Amino acid sequence: MLNINNNNASKSSSIIEMQNVGIRYDQGPEILSDIKLSLRRGSFHFLTGKSGAGKTSLLSMMYLAQKPSRGTVSVFGHNVNFANRDSLALLRRKIGVVFQDFRLIDHLSAFDNVALPLRVCGMDEREIRKRVMELLQWVELDKSIQATPATLSGGEKQRVAIARAVINRPDLLLADEPTGNVDNDIAPKLMKLFVELNRLGTTVVIATHSEKLIHDFAYPRLHLQNHGLKIYGPNDYTNMRGNLV
Amino acid sequence: MSKQPVFISRHEELPLQGDSTSLFLQIMVGIAVFLFSITLAGVLAINSMLLNWNDSILGSLTVQIMPSTNINAEKALAETIAHQEKALDVLRNMNEVENAEPLSDKQLEKLIQPWLGDGISIQSLPIPRIIDVKLKKGADVDYMDLAYKLAQATPMASVDNHKLWLNKLIRFADGLKLLALSVLALVIMITSGAIFYTTQTSLGLHKYTISILHLMGAKDTYVAQQYAKRSAILAFQGGFFGLLIGLPTIFGIASLAQQIEGGIISEASLSFYDWCTIISLPILSAVIAMITAYYTVKQTLQKMM
Repeated sequence: MLNINNNNASKSSSIIEMQNVGIRYDQGPEILSDIKLSLRRGSFHFLTGKSGAGKTSLLSMMYLAQKPSRGTVSVFGHNVNFANRDSLALLRRKIGVVFQDFRLIDHLSAFDNVALPLRVCGMDEREIRKRVMELLQWVELDKSIQATPATLSGGEKQRVAIARAVINRPDLLLADEPTGNVDNDIAPKLMKLFVELNRLGTTVVIATHSEKLIHDFAYPRLHLQNHGLKIYGPNDYTNMRGNLV
Repeated sequence: MSKQPVFISRHEELPLQGDSTSLFLQIMVGIAVFLFSITLAGVLAINSMLLNWNDSILGSLTVQIMPSTNINAEKALAETIAHQEKALDVLRNMNEVENAEPLSDKQLEKLIQPWLGDGISIQSLPIPRIIDVKLKKGADVDYMDLAYKLAQATPMASVDNHKLWLNKLIRFADGLKLLALSVLALVIMITSGAIFYTTQTSLGLHKYTISILHLMGAKDTYVAQQYAKRSAILAFQGGFFGLLIGLPTIFGIASLAQQIEGGIISEASLSFYDWCTIISLPILSAVIAMITAYYTVKQTLQKMM
């Protein structure tokens, strides 16, 4: 079992702060209630909870796709409730997201999909080419740079999605089941990438159902249950059995 | 062995050129520029005609000598000519007059030909004689004084400074101009409206891609610039074809107008700058399309996401 401690504990500034946060859709009941959370810079957390517990909603608040129905959310020290569209866009550039459904653009090649966050920032094409080729090689997709998502397997799509999420060396990496579709031999390699990014200072949150992943990588765990959030330390497996799927 | 460089073709993130609204936008702008070019040519021609009229009318006047009522035709003609000579004397002695010439029999025959037909002997008819008076440049004529002097010389003379019918014509031409400008405003509004709705439709079609671009940190401006570029290109292409059809139509109308006798329409010519304005219409439509698309995207995205 790997036992990796948070390396940047000395840096105490919060990447994400949530105070009394609640989320509801339309007039329905609250999916999440009274969430209090503070993610420190350079931390690594798993996010667990049964399906429908609100993991995706919590992540979507973290990647600024959604504002809370109540309470305050601060990302990189900016209160999301009062941020304008352009400020939110600039904050999103510091966040890499791996979506469960990949969210690749179908008419773009693997290369162009991965290059997207860099082009949005207006980076020079030569630098983009260098960075993207390097990363695609690393995720073993250098043979498929021109392939569109429709011609890629589930695992390959996931690797493209992961490459896109990390290409901009984000300060915050959020991943929703990032190893769910990849082969057993590539999953540890991708986790190694996340760990390496974390070692370099990226704050990481990985939503997962995989008990193996949680056991193999001893990181603290954010667990969603009964609309609330509990934080468990590394190697604390309370509420694991039967509460992850 | 060195590795062969890999050729990577870049695709547009928003495949706007190929979406279903593109052809509609091109056709709309094409029609608009076609109508725009013809109307604009009309406005510019009317404008030049007004300027020509003003210049020529302000520098001339007409003196009419009523025919003598003598029953004997020969005597009547002689008396009328005598009155004409007296009027000419007065006119030629005026400082403001550059030249005063009576219309010849031939010119008079040509004037009455549409009513009385060919083969008419002007000598035998009791019709008024006309003196065409050209004024010196910038001459300020006191018409009351002129009329008084002419009346002293001959009671048969009357002055027409063309002001009455010129004012009527100018009012008519101004009305035409206003109508044409209203058409132009309408065409611009319709074009902008078409671009507004095609852009909104296209934003709906590409909502998924735009949401991903936003998640990657794209500002609304990033999306708006792509739409502005696409709309400008499509509008220019549509406008170019509209102009290609518009130009021969303008020439056709102009050649028809040239066939109308009377000299009024022939003065409605277009200058080099007028042609430049008409030919630049595709560029103008591209600019309008670009600005409209840009602000439509900015405004719609605010509401959409």
